[in-house]
Amino acid sequence: MTILEARHLAKSYQDSDRRIEVLKDANLLVNKGDLICITGKSGCGKSTLLHMLGLLDNPDQGKVLIEGKEVSSSSKEAPQIRNRDLGFVFQFHYLVEDLTAVENVALPLLIAGHSKSTSLAKAAELLSGFGLEERLNHYSNQLSGGEQQRVSLARALINKPKVVLADEPTGNLDPEKSAEIWETILRLNRELEQAFVVITHDREQARLASITYELEHGVLSPVNP
Amino acid sequence: MRFSFVFMVLGIVLSVGILSAGLNLFAGYERTLKAVLLDSFAHISISETDSYLSRHKADQLIPKLEAMPEVQSVSPTETFSAMVNKDGEVHGALIRGYDFKRPFPYRKYIRKGEPSLDSGSVYIGHYMASELGLEVGDSLKVVYPQLNRVSALGIFPGEYFFRVAGIYRSGYYEYDRSAVIMTLEDAINVIMVPGYISNIELKLKPESVGAAGKLAKELEATYPELVAQAWTQNNDSLFRLIAMEKWLIFIIFSFLVLIAGLNVVSAVVTIMYDKKNEIAVLKTLGAGLNSIRGLIFYRIALVGIAAIILGQIFGWILSLLIINQSWYSLKGDVYFIDQLTIYVSPFNQVAIFVVSACLILICVRLPLRRINRMEIIELIRNP
Repeated sequence: MTILEARHLAKSYQDSDRRIEVLKDANLLVNKGDLICITGKSGCGKSTLLHMLGLLDNPDQGKVLIEGKEVSSSSKEAPQIRNRDLGFVFQFHYLVEDLTAVENVALPLLIAGHSKSTSLAKAAELLSGFGLEERLNHYSNQLSGGEQQRVSLARALINKPKVVLADEPTGNLDPEKSAEIWETILRLNRELEQAFVVITHDREQARLASITYELEHGVLSPVNP
Repeated sequence: MRFSFVFMVLGIVLSVGILSAGLNLFAGYERTLKAVLLDSFAHISISETDSYLSRHKADQLIPKLEAMPEVQSVSPTETFSAMVNKDGEVHGALIRGYDFKRPFPYRKYIRKGEPSLDSGSVYIGHYMASELGLEVGDSLKVVYPQLNRVSALGIFPGEYFFRVAGIYRSGYYEYDRSAVIMTLEDAINVIMVPGYISNIELKLKPESVGAAGKLAKELEATYPELVAQAWTQNNDSLFRLIAMEKWLIFIIFSFLVLIAGLNVVSAVVTIMYDKKNEIAVLKTLGAGLNSIRGLIFYRIALVGIAAIILGQIFGWILSLLIINQSWYSLKGDVYFIDQLTIYVSPFNQVAIFVVSACLILICVRLPLRRINRMEIIELIRNP
């Protein structure tokens, strides 16, 4: 079952007097239970692609479909879709500094309109599953890099999204913490059939994905079709 | 963020405090002046149209006036200008003669000396006493030019010696500087118009003071040969001027709050840029622009409102400090009274709160509109 689909996406930027084509006719299908990795050199447009898939940016051409329905980042329903159907994990975790770990994880539920008590209870349960039961009431600056990224991952999963979009989730971590996060992603994908689209530079990690794409010179092509 | 926030709060507290103190002092001045004017002068003064009022006519009129339900006291008086002299120093004086067989309406202003006057004794104003160096028991010469005492050298004034029986202080500067109060008979002797008085003073009951103008018109209608002058006729323009000045001060000082509002704009912009990552996260997680704006607005507005209330308390403390200091007092010859007082009017405080809150909330709201233009993608790309 196709959850997320990108059709003929194209994006270019004007850099002083020349136009840089970041994406040319990119196509991508994400089905339930997929673990898709996108690799490529720095600055090749991987994050741009992920932002368009996550309805954070609009393509110049082409379209993004969620469960067969075309949506754009500027549409009225985009915020609701981002909240309900998509989960995001960034390289720089982007936790809200003034909130505790459990409050950060509860945010998507609160935004969706759930009560504070229910949201906090669900967030605490999820964080405990991630081995962070001792860190629930710690602020982000009181957490290690790996813990921060696990909180970020929990926040992406709290609303049971159809797909989690992760932009180099281990890019800022040491190898040990990086392996922990990657293990968690693999486990969630295996046990819950949670779909992931992960951007990574780590070819070892990419090898464990169900499908790997490489983005080079604006062209997205499967590595192991 | 904390730095700009502290200055934002400080700016609001100071500007609202100055606005509040200014209005407290002005309201206090207005209230005190009104009280002093109402207490120091007749509420209605009745006189003949173009001459003195005969004692006979006054004696017939007084019981009728006393029977009026609005009237508290009636005093036949003799009022005229003269000069006083002490050891060669001459001072202008307003002589007022009262019938001390009747209750004296200004007894509470006798600060020193005897509670009542006999023939040959006077009460003098506090400032006149200090300027001429007079104390209770001293002698004072009253000089009054009399047209029937003309010699080849000119008008030969009448000179009368009185004993100072008490010092009078009403708070109304001009009166405290010139008043010489004596018995009605002594005043008639000085002016040499036996059988006549200059006017009848009416003091009204507190609840009827506001209706003095209406009552004076009714009296003139009943007694067409008499002129009835209400206190409002003499002082109406003064009170209107004071009220206008008060609101002028309110408007001018409100600009201070507006200037503090600019600090608020700058603090909100700083907070927005300081929290851009959080804003990006909230947008990414699907929060609507209104809820993000509301979240920031609610927190800053709450601090702003608390700062306004603190400012009002600071204004009250500031006005207390001003009235209790000793290095500045009002110039009585300019402001009529020489004492600074405050009055914390609930209406003024509500007006200050509402106007300040509106200004501050607008200043919080305006920069938050920029959140619409903050693109998530830019915020995420430039952490």
